Amino acid sequence: MKPAQFEYDDPQTEDEALDLLARHGDDCKVIAGGQSLVPLMNFRLARPARLIDINRIDSLSYIRREEGRLVIGAMARHTHLEHAEEVAQGWPLLTEAVGWVGHAQIRNRGTIGGSVAHADPAAELPAAFAALDAKFQLRSKRGSRTVSWDEFFVSEFTTALAPDELVAAVEVPALDPGTGTAFVEYARRHGDFALGGAAAIVKLGRDGRCERATIALLSAGPAPVRAKAAEQQLRGAKLDDSSIRAASAEAVRGLRPTSDLHGSTEYRIGLLRTMTERALTKAAQRAASSTS
Amino acid sequence: MSIVGVGHRRLEGAEKVSGATRFTDDVDLPGLLHVQLVLSHQASANIRGIDLDAARSAPGVIDIVTGADLPSVNAPSPEKPLAVGRVFYVGQPVVAVIAESQSAAADAAALVDVDYEPLSITVDPVLAMRDGAGRVLDADEEADAADASMHGAGTDSETNGATPRRPANVSSVVNLKRGDTDAALKSADAVVKATYSLAGVHHSPMEPHVSMVRPEPDGGMTVWAPTQGPFHVRDEVAKVLGIPTYKVRVVPMAVGGGFGGKVTLLETLLVLLARRTGRALRLNLTRQQVFAVARSAPAASFDIELGAKRDGTLVALRARFHYDNGATAGWHGGITGMFLTGTYQCPNFEITGYEVSTNKTPVEAYRAPGAPQAYFALESALDELALQLKMDPIELRLRNATREGDPGPDGKPLPRIAMIECLEEAQKHPLYTKPCVEGEGVGIALGSWGGARTPASAGCRVEPDGTLTVHVGTVDVSGSSTGLAMIAAESFGVPLDKVRIETSDTGVAPFGPLAAGSQVTYSMGGAVQEAALEARRQLLEIATNELEAAPEDLEIVDGRVTVRGVPGRFVEVTKLVAMSTEFMGKYRPIQATGRSAVQAASPMFTVHIARVRTDAETGEFQLTGYAAIQDVGRAINPPEAMGQIHGGVVQGLGRAFGEQLAYNVDGQLRTSSFLDYELPTADQLPDIDVKLIEVASAVGPLGAKGVGEPPAVPGPAAISNALARATGIRVRDLPLDRSAFVRR
Ligand SMILES: Cc1cc2nc3c(=O)[nH]c(=O)nc-3n(C[C@H](O)[C@H](O)[C@H](O)COP(=O)(O)OP(=O)(O)OC[C@H]3O[C@@H](n4cnc5c(N)ncnc54)[C@H](O)[C@@H]3O)c2cc1C
Repeated sequence: MKPAQFEYDDPQTEDEALDLLARHGDDCKVIAGGQSLVPLMNFRLARPARLIDINRIDSLSYIRREEGRLVIGAMARHTHLEHAEEVAQGWPLLTEAVGWVGHAQIRNRGTIGGSVAHADPAAELPAAFAALDAKFQLRSKRGSRTVSWDEFFVSEFTTALAPDELVAAVEVPALDPGTGTAFVEYARRHGDFALGGAAAIVKLGRDGRCERATIALLSAGPAPVRAKAAEQQLRGAKLDDSSIRAASAEAVRGLRPTSDLHGSTEYRIGLLRTMTERALTKAAQRAASSTS
Repeated sequence: MSIVGVGHRRLEGAEKVSGATRFTDDVDLPGLLHVQLVLSHQASANIRGIDLDAARSAPGVIDIVTGADLPSVNAPSPEKPLAVGRVFYVGQPVVAVIAESQSAAADAAALVDVDYEPLSITVDPVLAMRDGAGRVLDADEEADAADASMHGAGTDSETNGATPRRPANVSSVVNLKRGDTDAALKSADAVVKATYSLAGVHHSPMEPHVSMVRPEPDGGMTVWAPTQGPFHVRDEVAKVLGIPTYKVRVVPMAVGGGFGGKVTLLETLLVLLARRTGRALRLNLTRQQVFAVARSAPAASFDIELGAKRDGTLVALRARFHYDNGATAGWHGGITGMFLTGTYQCPNFEITGYEVSTNKTPVEAYRAPGAPQAYFALESALDELALQLKMDPIELRLRNATREGDPGPDGKPLPRIAMIECLEEAQKHPLYTKPCVEGEGVGIALGSWGGARTPASAGCRVEPDGTLTVHVGTVDVSGSSTGLAMIAAESFGVPLDKVRIETSDTGVAPFGPLAAGSQVTYSMGGAVQEAALEARRQLLEIATNELEAAPEDLEIVDGRVTVRGVPGRFVEVTKLVAMSTEFMGKYRPIQATGRSAVQAASPMFTVHIARVRTDAETGEFQLTGYAAIQDVGRAINPPEAMGQIHGGVVQGLGRAFGEQLAYNVDGQLRTSSFLDYELPTADQLPDIDVKLIEVASAVGPLGAKGVGEPPAVPGPAAISNALARATGIRVRDLPLDRSAFVRR
């Protein structure tokens, strides 16, 4: 179907966009890559009265290093992230995660800001950002603020973003040397939303023991889940099959992913556990080979 | 000249892959208006009232029509063009909005407010059959037997025994019985007793349903539709409008995928609307509407008891099954019963099949209707039996296979079939014989299709430049026109690029069969061959006169008719055509007709081999190899036959991988977009090795049999059998639940 009627603005600058957002707030929607919004509009599940198209705002489209951090402009496309050399070097978790997003055509249009603002609990990038302790720069006519990922993601498709606010950029801290990362997920067909997935970051100490482990899960709850207790459990541990298995069991303790046609809650818990095991194992191997 | 049997590219292939093909939605007409449907969102309800005020005043609206505004149409209540007083399923068309643009129609349709009084809903077919279940259909809305026979597998085998009392919501019962099943099962050495089920699935054509109509000045109607059956549409439209058949002209458009789901759907409604407004109209469904409105393949469930002697000889089969037909009377059961009883020799059987109605979208034929269901149950049960008997599954099938002269599915003696050849070929196929690696399993399953046939005709004209135009009234949904062109080229004696198959509108086309039931080449091949031979005869008749030579001494070479062995004696074909078409010409024009009526079916058999490996933690499986061995009688265009088989295999496997029409308790479809309705994708499929067996049909044109339907049949059982052998876990429900294969 085609969407219901809407008004359309195409601001050329961030300021213009913020003006329009301040004026129309609740009645309007920002459109970035349109890969989530347009299907919703075509199904008429979303009927925004006005679209503010931010595709022409060049100042939002960049990926750069700033003081060691990676800063990704909201309008950077998935493809851009996927192929950025500095990202592959410094934040390979993002390179690995973004490859799982939909199909090439979708990644050519879809944006980092859109993925974050859309807050789909099955989306890859929010979980990867959770694992990386990313922060989001939000801007409105009222001013700017920077919020951490766990303040930002509230629930399914719900964020801390105010109606007049724009996601401007994502800030990702640098990883320590000797760190290994991995992103794994299970979907029945390539490009489908994951039924369960995990991002892991492992830092090994000189003694080969785990100095720091980070585990973030997708499709595990209404928002990305950080398995803090499991992370804690691995600190100082020797990473082998049994410690990884135990931590993965801990990681899914208490989770109740929603049962649906594609999998029951029990099945999804098992998938999440398996994905956590696989992500930790891979991340540990990568950490070991980077230190050796 | 050898054209038939040698691979040729599809004549229309380049235009299809380059996106140039003109589909119905690409055609415009001056003053064309657009129709948008308002669909019921209730599964069972009375319509208390419809508020059209807001919609009527929306911009661009020309007319808004409800069921009450249309003349009465002779159809069961759920199948009226627009609901009258009551709705029976979610997705039933209730109101039609006609507007100047598609978007105006959609915007106005969203303003229509229908007031429903919900009634009790019957969604689960098992509950539907219980005493006291709410009645889905009005009484006496009986099965339409014509529908089954249209797809080439109608049953006329006798239904023995007293018909049992029909349970609630059962429109008809299939009963087939031979011998003493009870006693035979008691004395069997091995018995498999299990329940197998398949979800309903959708045809999922790439092109959504669309139709365009224009009222004509003489009171007639022209219809443009991507239909598999232009003559079916014509007859239906003439009937509903009460006008003579000749006043309806159906222009067959390129079919962007049909698979049984594109015969007629929207045309009755559209022509009634067009007559009312006096304007040309187009209605194209959105993908979501296709899922809700366009009829799908029924879900089915089978309780099977299959018994055999220690040596594998089958002794008895008991099957009790039902089809979930949605809000219509069904007809798949008869076909299914024939496959269950007529594929293998089995002295005793007792088959009871129920056609159940529920508050869902009515069902329709889908590629080999009734066969994937029958063979999933039968071939799974046989595999379980082979495991119990510790017997090779192909040996077990060979032991019980039917052959020429045995009673076939329809009870009549079988002609020469190639069931055994297919099984034997599978037995020596490397995918079957190669040892399995750790965690891998190999499974096989057999399938068949009886085959349809319909009398057919074709015309053939030789054009002034020496090319041939072959006129047919049957559309090409499978590459069949390329095969027909090859037959014409070879029969007449011209290269393939000199032949065009012209699928004309029903006003001028020679009568041709529905493109369904694997019957197009089988039914039309002979007519096209005869037409081309007759055109050749007419041409040579003229040449005989001009060259003063006997017709048997003439041949057509490089655009000339020459006298065999006399190099200098020839006449250009173009000249002969000119003499039979030009002003003051002296010969009658070359205008040939060919006709055929194939007298018997040529049952088709196929065996599939699947190899799988599973991931014990996620339960996911991956095919590591797949082969399809199929008897096609004679492959007219071998790559096309293989292409049909590739497509059929994938459609069949889709039922196992994840395709399903899942409904909630309110009768709402939960899989109404391709996000949730899981079509198979390339990453799920290995290379498919196709092996064509050619055991010529005694009656089909040039020995050909049908091709299109058998490959869609055995896949689900083949993969499920392979999985059972790889994991020891038998899953008896489709689509296959991955969680069942998890072993930690
Ligand atoms: C077939 C298909 C498969 C897909 N598979 C996946 C998948 O596997 N994994 C996955 O993660 N995603 C998947 N997607 C979604 C895709 O990644 C989307 O592109 C992404 O989620 C949203 O990005 P977008 O730029 O397209 O946002 P849009 O669709 O333009 O917008 C999405 C939402 O975010 C808001 N928004 C966008 N940008 C901003 C901003 N800068 N500030 C404030 N609000 C903003 C919009 O108002 C809207 O509410 C799939 C999409 C399709 C069509």
